[in-house]
Order: sequence, then C-alpha cells, then structure tokens
Amino acid sequence: MTKKKLATIWLGGCSGCHMSLLDIDERILDVVKLADIVKSPVVDGKELPEVDIALVEGSITSDEHYKEILHIRKQAKTLIALGDCAVMTNVTGMRNYFPLKEVVDAAYVNAVSNDGQGELPNHPCLLRLNDKVVPLQEVVKVDFVIPGCPPDADTIFYVLAEFLNDRLPDLGKTKKLKYG
Amino acid sequence: MNKIPVLIDEKKLEVDPHRTILEVCREHDIEILTMCHLKGIADIGSCRLCLVEVEGINKLMSACTTKVTANMVISTATERIKKYQRITTELFFAERNHVCAVCVSNGSCELQELGYKTGVDNIRYPHLFPQCNVDTSHPWYVMDHNRCIMCTRCVRVCNEVEGAHNWDIKNRGHQVRIISDFDTPWGASTTCTSCGKCLHACPTGAIWPKAIVQGQLVKNPGMITELVEKRKMRL
Ligand code: SF4
Ligand code: SF4
Ligand code: FES
Repeated sequence: MTKKKLATIWLGGCSGCHMSLLDIDERILDVVKLADIVKSPVVDGKELPEVDIALVEGSITSDEHYKEILHIRKQAKTLIALGDCAVMTNVTGMRNYFPLKEVVDAAYVNAVSNDGQGELPNHPCLLRLNDKVVPLQEVVKVDFVIPGCPPDADTIFYVLAEFLNDRLPDLGKTKKLKYG
Repeated sequence: MNKIPVLIDEKKLEVDPHRTILEVCREHDIEILTMCHLKGIADIGSCRLCLVEVEGINKLMSACTTKVTANMVISTATERIKKYQRITTELFFAERNHVCAVCVSNGSCELQELGYKTGVDNIRYPHLFPQCNVDTSHPWYVMDHNRCIMCTRCVRVCNEVEGAHNWDIKNRGHQVRIISDFDTPWGASTTCTSCGKCLHACPTGAIWPKAIVQGQLVKNPGMITELVEKRKMRL
C-alpha cells in the first residue's frame, strides 16, 4: 500500500482537538507507518499539498478561515470535521447570540482592563471576522465528522486507523459518539 | 381484568386493556425513546419521539398517549420511525443553544443520550442561535432557557405533584418559552416553594442548582415517579 498523505488544520477552535490528537501517544507511530503528516500545527509544513485526509479543527469565523476551508476542500480527498466547533460551532459559536459589534466591543473597547482606552484593532493584515460563526459543513462538503469537545484520543485514532486502512469508521455502532 | 392480544414487533403479547402502548412496551422491555414522558405525571405527547406505526393507521402515533386495543399490530423500530426520531433530535439541538462543553449536564443529559441513540453526529439544519435569558434570580436554582427543549416536564411536575404551578408557557412556535408566575423573575415568585422537583424532572441542563459547576449535575427524575407511587399507596 502506498503511503497516504495526512494534514491536520487548526481553524476557529482552541487547539484542544489537536491536544487530544497528541494524546494518541505512541500510536502516532502506527499513523506515520501508513501516512506522512504533510501539514499540521505540530509539523513544519507551509502550503497544503494534495492530501488523502485532512482533519480540520474549529469553526469558520473569518474571511481567512473561509478561504482556507475552500482550499482544503480542493486539496483533500477526505475532509474530516474534528471536534464540536468544526461540527456544530460549540463555544466558538456562542458569539452568534449577539451582534458582532457588541461582542468585539465587549472585548476590545468596554472591558474594564482597557481602562477606557480600548479601541478595535484595525490593521490591514488582520483577518476580518464574519458576522456569524458557522460549522464547516455550512461552507463545504464534509465527508466525516468526529464530534466531542475534545473528541477522545481513542476515537481520533480509531477514525484515522479506519481511513488509513481504507475502511469506513462508524461512531454510532462503535459507541464512540460524544458531544462536549 | 380480561387481557387483550396485541402484536408488537412481531411478538404476540397478552396485555391489560386501557394501557398506553408505551406502558405495555416498557413492561415487556421493548425500547421506546421518550423525552416529554415522565412516569408519574400526565402524558401530553408533545416531543414526538415515542412514535410507533400502527397497522391500518397512516400517520405515526405517539406511544405515550395512544392506548392499546385488541389485535393492534404495532411496530416500534422501523426505518421511517428512526428517520423522524433523528430529525426531531437534531431540531432540539438546532432550536436553542446547546454547548455541551460548558454545560452543567454534560455527561448526564437525556438530550445527549437521545442524540447518541438516534445516531446524531452532526446537525443538518441551521442553528437558530436565539438570544435566551438565563434567570439566576432564585436564591438556589438557575433557569437557563438556552438548554430548554420545551418538554414541559417542569410545568407538569410543579403543577401536578407539588401543586404550586409556578411554571407555565408563553408564546408559540420557536418563540415559546417557560415562564415563572406571570413571566416574572423566578426569584420573585410567590408560588414557587423551592422544592426542587422541577430540577429533577428536567431532562437537560436547563434547570440546575447554583452549587454545582460544569459536568457535575446529577438528576434523579425517578424520584418523582417514586413519590407519586408512594402517595398512591399512602406511604
Ligand atoms: S442540556 Fe444536554 S445537550 Fe444541551 S448543552 Fe447541556 S449537556 Fe448538551
Ligand atoms: S426547563 Fe427542563 S423540564 Fe422544563 S420544559 Fe425546559 S427542558 Fe423541559
Ligand atoms: S414521550 Fe411521547 S410524545 Fe414525548
């Protein structure tokens, strides 16, 4: 079997899903036997090449994420939404209950720690927040989802091992479904 | 009392008449998903999870409010039923703001369990993200409308078992909300006895005691059932 290409990408999440991925511990050796990790926050890959599997953590919160997820979709044969934020927005989506302006003002302008001096960051190289946070599936077709905040390391490893061995995982049947 | 024959999932059973399909199924270990049902309080058939197919009737029937009749032929686990149960469950999640990661009920929530049982791994409908109140005015308890699924178990237990009728309902459709008294803060209630029965009846993290934090909520809805049974026996 030729080695597969695997990427893991961190969008609008807290990196907790990636921490859980690292919690597969020595089983990472089983993963790298079957796949090269070509881009990830934990390896030094720059551009996303064509990959067999992309594990994507986090929701779509900005223009940058939006562009990125479209690019990932183009490059990845199998796109997996990793974690509650990617699957259903979770904590990242909690700002959706309020108008965006109210939310950023609360943090950058009105927070007591700003001593009345706060202003909105507005540098051209900064990303632009979208009005509403959305899950990956609202922008692109997602091939598989792993809910959980974070998903258990065992569940992540199970899903990876299944895909890397050309099998289709089933979280329901294996009783690995979990939110929160 | 004379028993009547019914056929449930191709099993021939002799059962007492005047019982609901749900009661009969539970007695015979046939699984039926429920959310608005709580043994001991009146059934209202509102959550639409306990759906069954009855031969000769085109629409799906709610097992908690439909009585068995002689020679009824009932199916409880067809693909059609499973399809609707999953849709209903997803809509519960899409309608309010369920962020399990920060919820008191995380890990011991009837809605989470329901999601796992119906195989909900993602929500196919856009979330409404409504702006919901969190009423913290009661000295001991919190009512968080973000997590309420409008099963009305709290309303019925408060009315029927405690006899206080603090809780009621306002509005319709997705604007529907549980209210305390005449839509005033829970802490200002003149009817609430602070008995805590609503808290135990509630299947989600919507009603909880202030003394706990994320993932620590342990509820005991069976306590309501037991209380009602004991009252009947005058214990
Ligand atoms: S009530 Fe249940 S489903 Fe809703 S956020 Fe809390 S744990 Fe999750
Ligand atoms: S607060 Fe709880 S018991 Fe009351 S209607 Fe909402 S989910 Fe049901
Ligand atoms: S349990 Fe029957 S409709 Fe809710």
